[in-house]
Amino acid sequence: MLSYILRRIVATLPVMAIVALFVFSLLYIAPGDPAVVIAGDQASPEDVERIRQSLGLDRPFLIQFGSWVWRILHGDLGTSIFTNLPVSTMIGQRLGPTLSLMMVTLLLTIVVAVPLGVVSAWKAGSLIDRAIMGFAVFGFSLPVFVVGYMLAYIFALELEWLPVQGYTPLSQGVWPWLENLILPAIALGCVYIALVARITRAAMLEVLQQDYIRTARAKGLGQGGILFVHALKNAAVPIVTVIGIGIALLIGGAVVTESVFAIPGLGRLTIDAILRRDYPVIQGIVLLFSFVYVLVNLMIDVTYTLVDPRIRY
Amino acid sequence: MDRRTVLKGLAGAGGLALTGLSAPAIAQGAAARTLRFVPQANLANFDPIWGTQYVVRNAAALVWDTLYGVDAKLQPQRQMVESEETSDDGKIWTFKLRSGLKFHDGEPVLSKDVVASLSRWAARDPMGLMILAIQQELSAVDDRTFKWVLKQPFPKMLYALAKNNSPCAFIMPERIAKTDPFKQISDYVGSGPMKFVKSEWVPGAKSVFEKFADYVPRQEKASWLAGGKQILIDRVEWLVMPDPATAAAALQNGEVDWWENPIADLVPVLKNNKNISVDIGDPLGNVGSFRMNHLFAPFNDVRARRAVLMALSQEDYMRAIVGDDDALWKPLPGFFTPDTPLYSEMGGEILKGKRDLDAAKKLLAESGYSGQPVTCLVAQDQPITKAQGDVTADLLKKLGMNVDFVATDWGTVGSRRAQKTPPGQGGWNMFHTWHAGADCINPAPYTAIRANGDKAWFGWPNSPNTEKEVTAWFDAKNLDEEKAAVGRLNKAALDDVVYAPTGFFLTYTAWRKNVSGITKGPLPFFWGVSKTA
Repeated sequence: MLSYILRRIVATLPVMAIVALFVFSLLYIAPGDPAVVIAGDQASPEDVERIRQSLGLDRPFLIQFGSWVWRILHGDLGTSIFTNLPVSTMIGQRLGPTLSLMMVTLLLTIVVAVPLGVVSAWKAGSLIDRAIMGFAVFGFSLPVFVVGYMLAYIFALELEWLPVQGYTPLSQGVWPWLENLILPAIALGCVYIALVARITRAAMLEVLQQDYIRTARAKGLGQGGILFVHALKNAAVPIVTVIGIGIALLIGGAVVTESVFAIPGLGRLTIDAILRRDYPVIQGIVLLFSFVYVLVNLMIDVTYTLVDPRIRY
Repeated sequence: MDRRTVLKGLAGAGGLALTGLSAPAIAQGAAARTLRFVPQANLANFDPIWGTQYVVRNAAALVWDTLYGVDAKLQPQRQMVESEETSDDGKIWTFKLRSGLKFHDGEPVLSKDVVASLSRWAARDPMGLMILAIQQELSAVDDRTFKWVLKQPFPKMLYALAKNNSPCAFIMPERIAKTDPFKQISDYVGSGPMKFVKSEWVPGAKSVFEKFADYVPRQEKASWLAGGKQILIDRVEWLVMPDPATAAAALQNGEVDWWENPIADLVPVLKNNKNISVDIGDPLGNVGSFRMNHLFAPFNDVRARRAVLMALSQEDYMRAIVGDDDALWKPLPGFFTPDTPLYSEMGGEILKGKRDLDAAKKLLAESGYSGQPVTCLVAQDQPITKAQGDVTADLLKKLGMNVDFVATDWGTVGSRRAQKTPPGQGGWNMFHTWHAGADCINPAPYTAIRANGDKAWFGWPNSPNTEKEVTAWFDAKNLDEEKAAVGRLNKAALDDVVYAPTGFFLTYTAWRKNVSGITKGPLPFFWGVSKTA
């Protein structure tokens, strides 16, 4: 197992290299110029050119790329063109809120979607099943920002139960941390809950047709034990796969959610960096996201061995 | 490895990341002494000389003081300076600093700091560059006295040092001010009434300023950037909110205290809230504009430019920007900010009265326009440029022009507008923007009005008559002469259509009613602002 994990980690290196080259090339040919944004509206073309030179943006593509790769190999993601802060510092500042949002959303999804899917499969064809699947279609169809605005209006402005925006670090208390995340997590989780609930239902329906389930019932096992101990464990592989794939959905959704709820996370940093053409920050974030995605896939593969002992690497 | 091990590991790693990266907490009792402010934009960098965005200038005005400050009557007033003297020939300016001025690191403000700061500022500021062009010497005489020796008189010296448009002549410690003006500083030790808390700065999200206890305010009443900058709160937090609906909700919910520039669509909601005050923020407002490229057909012919001016309805543009609120806009048959001393409508007839589309079409035909595409750049991520662009597209179509509507983002417009290649080869024919009214009160900071061809702002207008009157304003010895020069300048610039003014518009600012002392001005002033719990 350990050698498999090591092999997979080593295999990420060429993937990361291709991502790096792709992102760098894309930014190089994309229109827009950070020097223009920095110089401001009143700046002369000469001022813009001098800023471009001071940032090293006038150098040839290969030299810029080579110097960036060299820094990456030394563990340096570079310095933001705009803030003059190390990219690693900026990412570090934003990692906490995004990690928090993703963890709470993930937890919420698993706690809500998996039981919903199990119940839906158990009551397949019934009114409960249709209601749950109707909710799933609804949740899947609503854009994140619409859900976000509705939740903020009802629970923050009208009922005054929760704050509209912001983020409080966990170090300031569990409730202050959580109260800022509840609405964003529900908004972001809607699509995810719908997706996981549907996949859980489909996987469970298949498992519930198996002979060993009939045998379990014949032995007089309780419904809860059959559903959550015997059936769910065997239906877990596709569910875990979808949860893993859904992390990509979460990364994309976090961009919108963080803007709607003014959470200072990586999603907003990405948008800000793109609009300003802050190349080192964009490159740093894309590398990080790629790495996370590769890592999540690895974790999913490892998780398969935990839920299905027949799988060995 | 089993499930329990994995779960324990994940919880431990997650907890570590979440707590380890947290920002310092503020004491609960400090809440009432903390003002939470939503700025117009993200404070992405904090060097007011290197980056000239207004949000940087606004934050810098808290942290760095200036030698002079412009007041609400647009007059320069002494700020860090105690006195000044001019030689009889007007070529030597000698200034003396107030005593007791300190930087945030406790060091005294000395002449050498001022000399270094002015040198850096002058290299980036249009007026500073004019001074540099005639400078003989800028030097410290003693710790509190410095002099600026010029080769010829520069009557607008005090205005240059006091002006509120970016970049302002902020005074920094010598070691910081010696940084190349085209490179960004990373040390933010200031001379102003508040300190920048670098450790809490999260660009794009939050900036924090704390009261500087050793700041020595002037005794006079505060008026814009002049007078006694008395800070009545301990801490100001700037919270960036990219979504206006979120900012509106946060203000209504009491999560923030002051929102600099609510969008017009949300103002009715805020006005209906009994806990919120709404008023015009900046009385100098903004001048909407689009620029035509004078280098290429069809707008290299003044008749084509005038045809567009004859047909355009400023009301259409302004309603597209501010909606139905008539308090927020005025027609602008000229280029200078309304209700300021130099405002002029001379030559503005072309923008007044009923729009004559037929006459405009006829003039356009006379210019030789024969249906070639007109590349119109419109940034979709800026509501003001998007609104103007939509109106322009409609206007050009009514004139029978073939519009190549390029919907893009502001970053792309920013770089493409600098291209002097033909429109079909990466260049352009038109782009939309707007100018802060503070920049349009006189010709000194007004880059957009300059018409010196290759050296002019994008569009590169060449109008010797306009340039002649800019020079006349700089040479003017009194207000009457200045007014006469600007009147002629206004006419010349309209005759040659240096650019197309689309109207004058204002924006609101909104704050919770437990906050008092907010004044109207070209930037948010925090001195004199207080808050009750």
